[in-house]
Amino acid sequence: MTVQALRKSGTEPSAQPARAIVPLRDLNGIVHLLTCGSVDDGKSTLIGRLLWDASDLYEDQRENVRKSGRKAADSDLPDYSMLLDGLVAEREQGITIDIAWKYFDTETRRFVIIDSPGHEQYTRNMASGASHADVAILLVDARAGVKKQTKRHAAILDLVGVKRVVLAVNKMDLANYSEDVFRKIEADFRTLCWKFGFWDATAIPLSAVYGDNVSTKSAAMPWYTGPHLLEHLEKAPSRGTASSGAFRFPVQTVLRDGQDFRGLAGTVSSGAVNVGDSVTDALSGRSAKVIRIATMGGDLKSATSGQAIALQLDTDIDVSRGAVLSASEMRPVAAQTVEARMVWLSETPFDPRAGYLLRTVTDLVPVATLEIKALLDLETMSSHPSTHCNVNDIAVVRIALGRPAAIDVFSDISETGTLMIVDAISGASIAGGVATAVNAKADILGDGHFILTREMLGNGLCRDLSLSSRDREEFMRRANEAAILLRAAGVSVAIEPPPMVDDGMDPGL
Amino acid sequence: MTAAPSHLDLLEAESIHIFREAAAQFRKPVLMYSIGKDSTVLLHLARKAFFPQKLPFPLLHIDTTWKFREMIAFRDKTAKDFGLDLIVHTNEDGIKRGINPIDHAPSIHTDVLKTQALKQALDKYGFDAAFGGARRDEEASRAKERVFSFRAAGHRWDPRKQRPEMWRLLNGRLGTGESVRVFPMSNWTEKDVWRYILREKLDVVPLYFAAERPTIIRNGQILMQDDARLQPKPGEEVKMRRIRFRTLGCYPLTAAVESDASDIESVVTETLNAQTSERQGRLIDHDQAGAMEKKKQEGYF
Repeated sequence: MTVQALRKSGTEPSAQPARAIVPLRDLNGIVHLLTCGSVDDGKSTLIGRLLWDASDLYEDQRENVRKSGRKAADSDLPDYSMLLDGLVAEREQGITIDIAWKYFDTETRRFVIIDSPGHEQYTRNMASGASHADVAILLVDARAGVKKQTKRHAAILDLVGVKRVVLAVNKMDLANYSEDVFRKIEADFRTLCWKFGFWDATAIPLSAVYGDNVSTKSAAMPWYTGPHLLEHLEKAPSRGTASSGAFRFPVQTVLRDGQDFRGLAGTVSSGAVNVGDSVTDALSGRSAKVIRIATMGGDLKSATSGQAIALQLDTDIDVSRGAVLSASEMRPVAAQTVEARMVWLSETPFDPRAGYLLRTVTDLVPVATLEIKALLDLETMSSHPSTHCNVNDIAVVRIALGRPAAIDVFSDISETGTLMIVDAISGASIAGGVATAVNAKADILGDGHFILTREMLGNGLCRDLSLSSRDREEFMRRANEAAILLRAAGVSVAIEPPPMVDDGMDPGL
Repeated sequence: MTAAPSHLDLLEAESIHIFREAAAQFRKPVLMYSIGKDSTVLLHLARKAFFPQKLPFPLLHIDTTWKFREMIAFRDKTAKDFGLDLIVHTNEDGIKRGINPIDHAPSIHTDVLKTQALKQALDKYGFDAAFGGARRDEEASRAKERVFSFRAAGHRWDPRKQRPEMWRLLNGRLGTGESVRVFPMSNWTEKDVWRYILREKLDVVPLYFAAERPTIIRNGQILMQDDARLQPKPGEEVKMRRIRFRTLGCYPLTAAVESDASDIESVVTETLNAQTSERQGRLIDHDQAGAMEKKKQEGYF
């Protein structure tokens, strides 16, 4: 059977998928998907196709697509990309310059699609979109394979902490559904991912126009035995499922009921807390015991990462907005100096004379000096010394703070390691990034970190672990815990990431 | 390890986080209360965010004088039951000029009695932040809206001046003359609003439930004759129909649907399985192409 014949008989979509009756119950979690790639890779078509096949689109939205009479390139099928529309100006230009949010439900899951632009001049948009993602879909054209742009995208994903990446090898229909073509691209992708800290990296061959391996198995590619895209995405863990990791509670505000209640309101950003736990303010070092975890729905015995609560302590340790509570032996650093990787978001270049502030999760700290050390070349992952920085640059910066702030190294505990540089006068968001090193001392930030190498960890602490993605995650968890203990003891530590999964298909997920 | 949180748990926690960030960062916030189902959820989330404290900001209702009577009754009862500080503002100048949604184009009515009125109220009280129940799933231009949406002096929304938002960091530092609209429910969908109302057993305006009501068919849409200001034109007649509303606004601009869904469970079931999106029922959006985006640039919520 020829490919064309398969096309006619096999995977054409039904005009309208059967609509299941939507249950009243809550959905099993949320997964945020970042889609990145250029217009030419067929990104809008892929997202449109996912929405058309898998989601609970309203009938009027489907009707709009059918009625328009627009056809996807080289086919008789509707132009699914119409389901992604944006600002008037952008429609006219035919490119996406801002991040658009789109929502769809499968029977059990909420998916949030964060659609971000791919061009180099929009690195900042992609980085801010990626910072909200649980899984990133990197799109490439099967005829072109992994390009420089793909490398740049992977580097940005790694920088902002995305751990799960899917390489969608699109337009397989235009590459004769060739296994050789796909395997070559897949191999390039694995080589590329080796450099980064991804826990899971999977390549899937597909055709967005025809729907091959989007939400159904492709009959045209019997040689591919892995999951189709939606199947793969439905297995990704939802946000808020991980309660492992050290406890962190950035205090947002203090609540009072006019009597004796003084509650520290915030969202648990990592780990878990129980009534009776002793918690410590990282800056003052003072500790108190949790006597009540209050919510309007009733008091809780414990709370985990992602829950918004109010903590009442047995003694007043004088903490307010900006404080971060933790276990006393696993505290964030009361940082005076921070080294960070920042994406320059502002059209205004770095100005050493400008006044800057540093925003952490809930604190806003005066910056004594901000120094650009180097710029990163995302395609080669090399850095070049520099003292200036412009919009869309990725800079290695050194920040001396006007007073200490509770900050973690992002690769250990992500949320309390996120940073934003704010213009003190205009209030504009100047740069966003992650802490790569923190020091409680004012000036020295050692170039000499102690490196926890793969070899060191693999020989001892992580000897029992394989290369599956689940074990990879466990490897990083143990490495992080070790690093936090060392850092709390005053040692500046960095962790070398574990090797990539090597076997293509990963049964662990 | 405990069970994974449901999607509503996650959305609720995110909204509470946003409320607390805004209340901590802005000098004088206000909650835009428009009485409908989204406002009902917004208010509930705000109460959760500050429990057991009283809400640290007032509610503001922009009254065009064309809201359904049942909406006004519900508004006043809600304020009383929860002990809320409610401010009601009307553009008296617009009323004096006789602007109304029956004789004027919906866009003029909206501009004068909603957009202008809102700007007047924000300026009069000096609010620097206003919470709204807008969601990104409502309309294409809102799909790109930020959680903290900045407005220049004169309340103008400039898409190029919007700040990038990363992780859970919310930068609320204002420049001179700037104010901000805060959208804690950015990531909710229409279906989530109803699921949440059901889950949390929230009271909503009875107009959401089917009942026999006096109606007029105009331009193919079912309108409810809420008072004598809406009269049938030649060829039209007032007829009792079993209807309900999917969204609520000014009654001459809000189309009803024929329905038997008369309790919360059946409304939720009907909504979750609906074939058309909710803005079909809002006549102002059909006014012109790119309507919402234009209204936003002019300062509409």
